[in-house]
Amino acid sequence: MSAPAAITVENLARTYQGGYQALKGVTFSVAAGEFAAIMGPSGCGKSTLLNILGLLDRPTGGTYRLEGALTAGLGDAELTALRRARIGFVFQAFNLLPRLSALENVALPMAYAGAAVAPRLERARALLDRVGLGRKGEHTPLQLSGGERQRVGIARALANKPALLLADEPTGNLDSTSSAEILALFKELNAEGTTIVLVTHDPAIGASAQRVLRVKDGLLA
Amino acid sequence: MKIAELGRSALQEIGAHRTRSAMTALSLSIGIAAMLFTFSQTAGMMKRYDDALRLAGPGRLVISPRRGYAGKGLSPGLTFSDAREIRLRYPELYMVSPRNSHYGLDGRLDSFKNGDLVGRGITPEWAKRDWVYTMRGRMLNERDLAESARVCVLVEAGSWIKKPFWAKYWPEQALTKHISRRDPLGRRILLGEHLFTVVGVLKEPPKDLDPRWFRTWGGSGQVLVPLTTLQRSLMPRYQKNPDVVEEIAVDTGDAETAAAYLRRIKVLLLARHRGEEDFEIKDYREIMQSALKQMKEFVVSIMIIGLVAILASGIGIMNVTLATIFSRVKEIGIRRALGATRADIIWQFTSEAMMLGVLGGAGARRSASSASGRSRRARSACSRSARYTWAARC
Repeated sequence: MSAPAAITVENLARTYQGGYQALKGVTFSVAAGEFAAIMGPSGCGKSTLLNILGLLDRPTGGTYRLEGALTAGLGDAELTALRRARIGFVFQAFNLLPRLSALENVALPMAYAGAAVAPRLERARALLDRVGLGRKGEHTPLQLSGGERQRVGIARALANKPALLLADEPTGNLDSTSSAEILALFKELNAEGTTIVLVTHDPAIGASAQRVLRVKDGLLA
Repeated sequence: MKIAELGRSALQEIGAHRTRSAMTALSLSIGIAAMLFTFSQTAGMMKRYDDALRLAGPGRLVISPRRGYAGKGLSPGLTFSDAREIRLRYPELYMVSPRNSHYGLDGRLDSFKNGDLVGRGITPEWAKRDWVYTMRGRMLNERDLAESARVCVLVEAGSWIKKPFWAKYWPEQALTKHISRRDPLGRRILLGEHLFTVVGVLKEPPKDLDPRWFRTWGGSGQVLVPLTTLQRSLMPRYQKNPDVVEEIAVDTGDAETAAAYLRRIKVLLLARHRGEEDFEIKDYREIMQSALKQMKEFVVSIMIIGLVAILASGIGIMNVTLATIFSRVKEIGIRRALGATRADIIWQFTSEAMMLGVLGGAGARRSASSASGRSRRARSACSRSARYTWAARC
């Protein structure tokens, strides 16, 4: 019996108040360890789809299975626990907390997971080393460049050893050099077995992914 | 998230918005300080009531001329003779103390010259209650009273142990100032047109230790003389009946007998005043309760102000907290994405508000305790003076 897909969605729909349909029935699956890119024009429903996949939003129709488990019947606390343990987020605007140092930002998801202070700081340091920022752990986000902030963001996403990494235009605010470094990091993580789903406008990143899911007007093209 | 981390996070947020946090804590402080001050005042008031009753005596009655009474010309008014009659009729009473005063009395002692002294005519029984003084020389006695002797006891007003800021410009009594420089004991003082011998000096306790110091008006200085001497030598010539007194203080010696003696004395005085009820007899407890009622109304009004302040600051804090939450919606979203539960988020903001509350409360406690410090000193002093009273009774 083969392992269940990391993500399975069937006829996924999301209609907002006022009747706007961001997703109109999307069906696809992403295998464990796959690197998939979601592409499409602005307003086509990419971010809505990513939010549902990250359990930050609930679909108004269809089903979503994460690692084979149906998410529809789960309560807020269960969804939070699932998100904390299985999913890592990387954002276009980095979304680091400005008053915390890079080290504290990386350690924050582990704090929410209930890890003790010493082990989580140790792991946070290791993750910063991993993304090449071992010496900048005490710097606040304002003291880091855009590329460095995004690397801190990736380290933070990896804090709780997620099986699934979701990234929303992770290179959208970066120059080409930094974008290349971030892409290389994603590939490295994928090679280690992490499932990656990222939303992008960048054809170069799309070309690097194993599969591209094109969304248009709330449907897969 | 652990409590320590929530606390650290709250402190970080408070530190990041110092002005907002300080204003919030200040508004809380004001409200809580007002409440604490009110509570301490209420507690102090009840204690003072007990102490004042203990000082005054358990069965204290106060007889005074009825205010606004239009006489029919039949009654001679409240007189020293009434007091004598009460004493004669009820020898078992612990104290019958008539008193009259002459305000604006001229006095001269060496270089001291003043026209605003208060001459108080008393009998030796005066010293049986309210005794919180230190005595030098001797007190007035029955012989002084019988002979209408021209002797007097000077009252040296209490000073301050620690002068409060509001008393900085409170004038010191001229007589006290003079006698503190030169001992008047045994010397002669000119009161009105007559020379008196100073046979004693009564020193009042320090004002901070005397809960009663606000209640008596001493002009530029108080001089105690035998009541008969006041009537003969010091009362103004326009006074129709020099025998009148402004008050007769009676102590039955027992709270339970006060009501019965009140009725008996009333019957006696009505007969002596030919049916004219031109006097009133009050149980001292009623006087105190009336004063207490006024104080309570005052305290309630302060409490209402405190509640309004707390309510206003509470609404202000809610408003600020809501504004803070709305300004941090993005941060909340990030934290949720990183695995924070709703409870984590709620606790984060609650711990911040609680921390501000604690800071505000601590500030309030500090200001309220300094404000109530005087009351506390007075309360403890009151107990001390009460003990002193019974020990030093002459």
